[in-house]
Amino acid sequence: MSNALEIRDLRAGIGDLEILKGVDLEIPFGEIHALMGPNGSGKSTLSHALMGKPEFTASGSVLLDGTELLGRPVDERARLGLFEAFQYPVEVPGVSLDEFVAELADAAGNGSFQERVATATAELGMERFIDRPINEGLSGGEKKRSEMFQMAIALPKVAVLDEIDSGLDVDAVREVAGLVERARSDALGVLLITHYSRILNYMEPDRIHVMIDGRIVRSGGPEVAAELEATGYETLRAELGLVPERDPLLDLP
Amino acid sequence: MPIMDLSALLRASGESDDALARREIAREHLASYSMPTGREEVWRYVDLDFALGDFELAPPPGADTPPTEDEATDASARAQIVDGAVVAAAARADGLRCERVAGGEESLVPADMDIFTAAHDAFCSEWVEIAVDKGKAIELPVVVDVSALSSAASFPGVRVDVADGAELTIAIRLDSADDVAALVVPHIEGRVGANANLTVVVDQEWGRQTKAIGQLVFSVGRDSSIQLAEAGLGGALARWQLNIKLAGQGSNAQVIGAYFGDRDQTLDYRYVMHHAAPNTHSTMFLKGAVEDEAGSIFTGMIRIDEEAQRTDAFQTNRNLILSDGASSQSVPNLEILANDVKCGHASTVGQLDPEQRYYLMSRGLDPMRADRLQVRGFFQEALNRFPVPEMVEPLRERFYQKYLDAQAGGRV
Ligand SMILES: Nc1ncnc2c1ncn2[C@@H]1O[C@H](COP(=O)(O)OP(=O)(O)OP(=O)(O)O)[C@@H](O)[C@H]1O
Ligand SMILES: [Mg+2]
Repeated sequence: MSNALEIRDLRAGIGDLEILKGVDLEIPFGEIHALMGPNGSGKSTLSHALMGKPEFTASGSVLLDGTELLGRPVDERARLGLFEAFQYPVEVPGVSLDEFVAELADAAGNGSFQERVATATAELGMERFIDRPINEGLSGGEKKRSEMFQMAIALPKVAVLDEIDSGLDVDAVREVAGLVERARSDALGVLLITHYSRILNYMEPDRIHVMIDGRIVRSGGPEVAAELEATGYETLRAELGLVPERDPLLDLP
Repeated sequence: MPIMDLSALLRASGESDDALARREIAREHLASYSMPTGREEVWRYVDLDFALGDFELAPPPGADTPPTEDEATDASARAQIVDGAVVAAAARADGLRCERVAGGEESLVPADMDIFTAAHDAFCSEWVEIAVDKGKAIELPVVVDVSALSSAASFPGVRVDVADGAELTIAIRLDSADDVAALVVPHIEGRVGANANLTVVVDQEWGRQTKAIGQLVFSVGRDSSIQLAEAGLGGALARWQLNIKLAGQGSNAQVIGAYFGDRDQTLDYRYVMHHAAPNTHSTMFLKGAVEDEAGSIFTGMIRIDEEAQRTDAFQTNRNLILSDGASSQSVPNLEILANDVKCGHASTVGQLDPEQRYYLMSRGLDPMRADRLQVRGFFQEALNRFPVPEMVEPLRERFYQKYLDAQAGGRV
């Protein structure tokens, strides 16, 4: 199977600060990969750099179904088939989700979009907050649900889901995992960023990658998550001979 | 003949000798006023590039004045003021009066505030008077159209009296054609009795060359409420001085505003909320945007008298600057003499939010669409609070259209 996403030596940063220090990653179509790593290791930076967030500089190569993304504007990447579910979905005051969807439909200009909206609305129970302003005053779980809804209507080739499980209760985590698994198809590659192996209990990621200090330091099967759960990142750091960057939080009792 | 050089005032039909004599005195006083210089606090930030004396007094409109089209919106009463003259006024509801009155009682606006109020005192010879009887709730709005046809000065007057226990909604539309270089000084004023409710929606769409220096003045009685919303879209210069006096215990006021200045427009708001009685409550919520070389000014004052204990007052003013050449002033003021009050303000001047743009673009919207949506949302927060829902949909579209025009013109 060909690759949905192919990242080669991706370096990204802000100003003089290099955050991603050479990331290589391949996600074949039909696969779901998980990306784990400690706070501040660069997971969200990866997700924003793929999407082309203006404040990040990026070099290297990112191929989406064979098309180079770097250098293209954000909206073009989206239209080429990249979807980013935000760790912190942005509030857009005064604009309801259904107005947003109407604008997207108008921009997309094709009929199948409306069908996807209808299906996804029903499937995700969006009726309750479709007329509320985007992400404003939504609970953590509702925001994540809204992101999943938007992914469903975007029908992407590559979905980067940045902590789609954070802030969710047990049932919601299982539900989201189910949604991701159900989205699995030969036309989609998924990168699921998570802190918890809990969500991985409800789905079957094909590979798990671990990012530390802006690099992917370990890739493997489901056993990687179990290993991390048992030993933590510090052990992995030590094994790999990585000097831990001082994190003041670690000094807390 | 320029307004300052008039040898005699024209008597309005039905105007009494006394009323005319009073206006003559006011006109003589006018000579002692000069144009604001910009150093006066209430005129700061605004550049008046004209003099009152540049204008002639608008002649009475001819008989061929087009009447207001009877629109689909039902109204309990309609009035029309053209170039300051009341050309139509009639009520259709029981307990409601809407008529032309020459002269009449003293205005709530002090004549000696500035040259414009003084001129209004001298030149406004007839008013639209709207009065609702005690205990009457008038369901349909009163619609008042104020327009300028000639490139001259006019002084429209609208007076509202809401008796105890009554309820009334008034929609005021102000407009002129883009080629009418008029100076309009509209005074809209009202008294609200006890246990009464007045809703006023002002739809300001003066033409590109019209300058408007207006007054909105209301006094609100015990346990009564006023809601006042203004949509400011037009005018070369459009200024409102608003003063709401919460005169009765337990009265409350809600002031809402949305304004959008394009090209070289100046939109100027001087709003005063005066809490003069205990247990009074007020909010002001205004959102405005400016593009190209437009400027906006909002100065909001919450004044709380010593006896106005247990007052709750808040003002919010948010401004969006859409082009480098545009400017916006937002100046909140509090003057609090009572000690048991809750009072605050929030005031911002900013630009479109890059995080919102990024988020919207990440779903496939091009930057123009993303910004449009953000601007739409920005105004929606104010427009959604407008009290007459039927008026909101067209306003929404007009604010949106203004931004589309700015985008199409490459100004934002
Ligand atoms: N806009 C920014 N300005 C400055 N530094 C930034 C910015 N964004 C990210 N960083 C820094 O880059 C590093 C990586 O941040 P990133 O958000 O990618 O981490 P993460 O792995 O997603 O963490 P978490 O698990 O907490 O979400 C952090 O040290 C962070 O402080
Ligand atoms: Mg993150």
